[in-house]
Amino acid sequence: MKTGSNCANFFIVKVALAQIAPRLGDVEQNLQLHLHFIEKSVIKKARLIIFPELSLTGYTLMDLVQEVGLKPDESPIFRKIKALSRNTDIVLGFVEEKEAGVFYNSSAYLSAGKIVHIHRKVFLPTYGMLEEAKFFAPGKNFETFPTRFGRAGLMICRDFLSYGAAYLLFAGGADIIIVTSAAPGRGFSERRGFATDRMWELMGEAISFFSTSFVIYSNRVGCEDGKTFAGGSFVYNPQGKLLVKASPVEEGLVFVDLDLNEIRASRKTWPFKRDDRPEIILRALERIVRKYED
Amino acid sequence: MKINPSFVENVLCSFIRGEFGKFNYQKAILGLSGGLDSSVCAFLAARALGPKNVIGMILPYKDTFGEDVKDAQAVARRLGIRSEVIDIAPMVDTYFSGHPTQDRVRRGNKMARERMSILYDISAKEHALILGTSNKTELLIGYGTIHGDMACAINPLGDLYKTQIRELAAHLGVPAGILKKKPSAGLWPGQTDEGEIGLTYGQIDEILFRLVDERKSIKDIIAAGFAKKTVEKIATLVRNSEFKRKMPPIAKISARTVGHDFLYPYDRNR
Repeated sequence: MKTGSNCANFFIVKVALAQIAPRLGDVEQNLQLHLHFIEKSVIKKARLIIFPELSLTGYTLMDLVQEVGLKPDESPIFRKIKALSRNTDIVLGFVEEKEAGVFYNSSAYLSAGKIVHIHRKVFLPTYGMLEEAKFFAPGKNFETFPTRFGRAGLMICRDFLSYGAAYLLFAGGADIIIVTSAAPGRGFSERRGFATDRMWELMGEAISFFSTSFVIYSNRVGCEDGKTFAGGSFVYNPQGKLLVKASPVEEGLVFVDLDLNEIRASRKTWPFKRDDRPEIILRALERIVRKYED
Repeated sequence: MKINPSFVENVLCSFIRGEFGKFNYQKAILGLSGGLDSSVCAFLAARALGPKNVIGMILPYKDTFGEDVKDAQAVARRLGIRSEVIDIAPMVDTYFSGHPTQDRVRRGNKMARERMSILYDISAKEHALILGTSNKTELLIGYGTIHGDMACAINPLGDLYKTQIRELAAHLGVPAGILKKKPSAGLWPGQTDEGEIGLTYGQIDEILFRLVDERKSIKDIIAAGFAKKTVEKIATLVRNSEFKRKMPPIAKISARTVGHDFLYPYDRNR
């Protein structure tokens, strides 16, 4: 078996989850953090490295959103990171100023020195301690795109808690669902860990199994304004089996080998993909939405 | 309401370490009263930052609380942290000799603010950050002196009810004498929190947990078997103490105003 080869039948991909604690609002410093982690992943022969949500900027930005927004096509910071994606694909999070003065919570998939795909967070949590819709415009789409490892789809944090969004990536043919996150821990009991840890794992397990795809969840660590980000990045294989789970607090890189043959194997056992009927779902949704509008 | 003490210890220690790292401080300072909250805070700080980086200030009024001073000193010795005793009586008595009063609340608040004033001064001298020790129960019912014991740079204990702090204290190895002691704000001799509020912390926490964490209505809590009078009393304390949990309102006139729509994170560039 060749490691990291492009051979279609034997395909093991080493993935690095970069569980970092970015410095809030300091893009230059965070660029250095990215370069450092990318370099370490390249040395370990990772083919894909995934940073968390808003990895270039930190999360609790508030009015800083307007100061750290960038246009990926023109940004010198992106140019530097793109240059490192020749052999190792990179997923990172940033504030995107797509149109002048309009900001999105975005993530980008970089490969072979190019931007392959940008996802703009659709579900902006705005309740309790979360206030994203005050500062960001919502994205409008969930799309899959080809990568050297199969079709992939991106989601950002709260997006992943919508099973409708996960379905769209499934229907779009995703083999790998990549979730970047800046999820603070909330709620505690006699059990170790935050109550919310289970929520993310539950979704990871269910979505990976029922979409027969890999689910990669990269969450951040560190504290911002008293909120503790709960780390615990993980990967589930297409049979819903947990392959790796990172520490809830430690900053660092976690490596995992994905055996892409498992996608095919799981779909032979469970033909969820073969039997999917998106046209029925589309028509039913249209009827439901039409009723809302009446 | 139950906690996993070692998980809570880990989260709070990494919070303390993280905050000190971000603001580039090595040393922490806190008032050590000989009671539960400040002892727990000292234990956490010593674990997070190392004992040589923690300063416990013991700030009694004369020898009114002799046992507490001894307990506070025992905590400092046990942890190997630096401590210093300063009697606040000369400052407090000088003030009240000009404005005499027997009002225990006024005298108690003055003492709490005198302690705050000393902590801030020594923190500047030592280049140390002040650790707050107000717990969630006190913050919610407003049982604290604004700009007094509530003043601090960071507060590791503010999301733990008193009952939960007791559980954490036992896990951390806080001396049994302190664990058993009746909680007191140390405002006057013989004062206990529970005596002054008229309810035990157990009762208060059970109701607050339902009201705040579980978002239950007052009606539902009463229906679940809690005394109507008690539930209503606690809800009133919470309602009437919002001013202690907020920055004072600023009269908004301009296009962009501090506290209204000039919105930056505390940890900006940290």
